Amino acid sequence: MPSVIEARGLRFAYVRVPVLEDISFSVEAGDYVGLIGPNGGGKTTLLKLLLGLEKGSGDIKLFGTELAQFKDWHKIGYLAQKSPVSQSRFPVSAEEVVLMGLSSHRGSGVSAGELRQVYDAMQKTRRREYAGRIFHDLSVGQQQRVLLARALVSRPELLILDEPSTALDAESREMFFNLLGELNAKRGVTILLITHDTGEVGKYISKFMYVDKKLVFFGTKEEFCHSNEVAEKLGAFAQHTIDHLHNHGHCPLGCSCGGGK
Amino acid sequence: MIAEFLSYGFVQRGLAAGSLVAASCALLGVFLVLKRLSLIGDGMSHVCLTGVAVALLTSANPVYMSVPVVVLSSLGIMKITQKFKIYGDAAIGIVSAAGLSVGLLITALAGGFNTDLLGYLFGSILTVSRDEAVLCGILLAAVLAGLFFFYRDLTSACFDEPFARTRGVPVRAVNTALVVVTSVAVVLAFKVVGIFLISALLIIPPVSALLISRTFKQVLWLSAAFGVGSVWAGVYLSFLFNIPSGATIILVNLLFLAGAYIYSKTGGLHAR
Repeated sequence: MPSVIEARGLRFAYVRVPVLEDISFSVEAGDYVGLIGPNGGGKTTLLKLLLGLEKGSGDIKLFGTELAQFKDWHKIGYLAQKSPVSQSRFPVSAEEVVLMGLSSHRGSGVSAGELRQVYDAMQKTRRREYAGRIFHDLSVGQQQRVLLARALVSRPELLILDEPSTALDAESREMFFNLLGELNAKRGVTILLITHDTGEVGKYISKFMYVDKKLVFFGTKEEFCHSNEVAEKLGAFAQHTIDHLHNHGHCPLGCSCGGGK
Repeated sequence: MIAEFLSYGFVQRGLAAGSLVAASCALLGVFLVLKRLSLIGDGMSHVCLTGVAVALLTSANPVYMSVPVVVLSSLGIMKITQKFKIYGDAAIGIVSAAGLSVGLLITALAGGFNTDLLGYLFGSILTVSRDEAVLCGILLAAVLAGLFFFYRDLTSACFDEPFARTRGVPVRAVNTALVVVTSVAVVLAFKVVGIFLISALLIIPPVSALLISRTFKQVLWLSAAFGVGSVWAGVYLSFLFNIPSGATIILVNLLFLAGAYIYSKTGGLHAR
């Protein structure tokens, strides 16, 4: 069975300033990967490269297919860091926004099956009551939930999420991470998630990827927690992360590291 | 009075061509405004001057001469934006300046301004030929067909372009088609309102519609209605008071905009 994501020798530069150098990794089916690293370390750029939204060098395969030939976009759900439309008056309903999550489609009609998928996705994010409301009139947090429903509507096998919880309140964040955990555990959805919130999301994550222009660390959360060598390699940011994980006397990642005792 | 106004063949042709091209511009303008490419019409209209100047110099038909010039320029705007990673408005400014300066240079070399050129600069809807009116009809048919077949791709690409790309929407092809069809609309519109005022037909009806609409389809139909309504009212008022039709059409559009704004603020659909 091919890897869900296979990246080999990825490089990217903005006007000759290197942003990512020689990144290689594989994400397997069912993995829940937390992508962490300092601001400006290239995390968002890496996700954009994987989705073909930026062009760098190196090889990317999605579900065993070269990115250039990849057509099964319904297998992937994507949620960007911020809504690109938050400032503009774009008169589409939340329901229409979710519908956009289904793959490229000719014509203007909507089938009953598609509508069912839209309502299912909105039900999952507990925002079915927003269906008829204008997206622009919703709060940023509500918009984020609608965009999550848009990412889920095609029933993806891989979710790529860029700091999705930033605009959510505590209750919504908990609902959000519980939903992701359920999708991963019960339906085997593979998740690649940029987060700074390692404590809250840590209990669900199976692997960590640390990117700071280069791939500094990629392994299980047990390896991440146990390894003093890793802490030394990763420096202050990772030390802060590990301290944060252990600061209540137990490991919120739920690994067997003993909570740092 | 109205019956007499409508009895003239040139008025019928002008109204038909004006309505068709105004509806096309208003529909295309919705996507341009939402993609923040409103000024592309302004840039292309300046490039029209080059096409018109070359046509007048070579005694060719200005419309047929301007279509390839403006289409190539609009593709140039897209290429500059992609290749050099600069903002779209800067690319529009560059191509617009190039089009205007080349047009003025050719005009000067040809012996300066003449009556024909002034007609294109300020519009002369009542001189629209039958062939040009047919072209306007073909344009609107193409716009409506594009909307019908690619409605979901178009709205998705306008709403969130990066996400649309991850759905397999051919965003680059959608943008290219939008810009090329807009180029043709701009060329066909310069007889209606004149080179200087074309961009208003692309911008004002969509903005008026956006102010008072609750759905995207409503925006499209209201925008088209505002565009067509402004042509009919503008041509009739210009006939009635013997004033320039192009400018009158745009002033009617501005009245629609003011009305839409007041409606949205007082008892409109967006009032809360």
